[in-house]
Amino acid sequence: MTEWLLPLVPVWGLWLVAGTTLLSCLALPVPASLVMLAAGGFAAAGDLVLWQVAAAAFAGAVLGDHAGFLVGRSAGAALLARLSRAPARAALIARAADYICARGAAAVFLSRWLFSPLGPYVNLAGGAAGMSYRRFTPPDLAGEALWVGVYTGLGFAFADRIVALGQVLGSASGALAAGAVATGLGLRLRALWRRPERPGR
Amino acid sequence: MSTFARLWHEHRLVLLAFAAALAVTLFFLVRTAVFWVYWSDPARRDLAIEGWMTPGYVAQSWQVERELVGAVLGLEPGEARGRTLGEIAAARGVPLAELEAELMAAIAEARLGE
Repeated sequence: MTEWLLPLVPVWGLWLVAGTTLLSCLALPVPASLVMLAAGGFAAAGDLVLWQVAAAAFAGAVLGDHAGFLVGRSAGAALLARLSRAPARAALIARAADYICARGAAAVFLSRWLFSPLGPYVNLAGGAAGMSYRRFTPPDLAGEALWVGVYTGLGFAFADRIVALGQVLGSASGALAAGAVATGLGLRLRALWRRPERPGR
Repeated sequence: MSTFARLWHEHRLVLLAFAAALAVTLFFLVRTAVFWVYWSDPARRDLAIEGWMTPGYVAQSWQVERELVGAVLGLEPGEARGRTLGEIAAARGVPLAELEAELMAAIAEARLGE
């Protein structure tokens, strides 16, 4: 993908940067981190301007996040309402939704930059759970600012190393995201493990 | 029934998802390490000149004057902005490899002179 994407960065410039961060926040498989690194590198080379690159990446990311959040609010909420017709499931869904609304801000913030592959799903879940904009938008803005700042800044500082940075950081962020999912499932399993056996089984 | 057997029986999906998440984590950890080792080799420190780079990018990553790269490519100052080497080679009707060779020779000479 780098072969045909990288030459487009100096030519399409800010639109490409904003477009890739937007699409990546909708879970589409575009290499947003590599594009941001490259755009930072082109800023160091004098082809682009660093603050404009960062602003474009930030605008695309925030727009993409809110689009996903909006889809969660409409389609996701409708789906949850349908699933909640079964009373047993309704209680579980209500509990999960309450949990997300109460504790979701940290998940939103961390899934912008540290566990970024999980971001699009957190947007959908937050929207479906009925999280308010007041709780979703501030951690989204803060987290995306950090994500965009780290990648464009690294690209600017290490323009001659962007391919290496892209591959190492891309893999590391995949490991972090999968590790976070494994940890969550592991904690759930531990709770199930300790639960006494249900009578009658 | 043993605890594991009970979990397998009642929560098979959670167990399988956990195993899958662990496997994916391990895969990405190994991949990170492999890339890390690969790029730690000093021989790979300099990013080879490629078609997606602009003249400014070449100058930046090889730490030479921008004017030098422009001169090799026969560009007026300011003309190079936002154009990739691939485009410049196509416009001049020469293979990219030829431009790369010319640039590498000029860069090597400039570095010798320092």
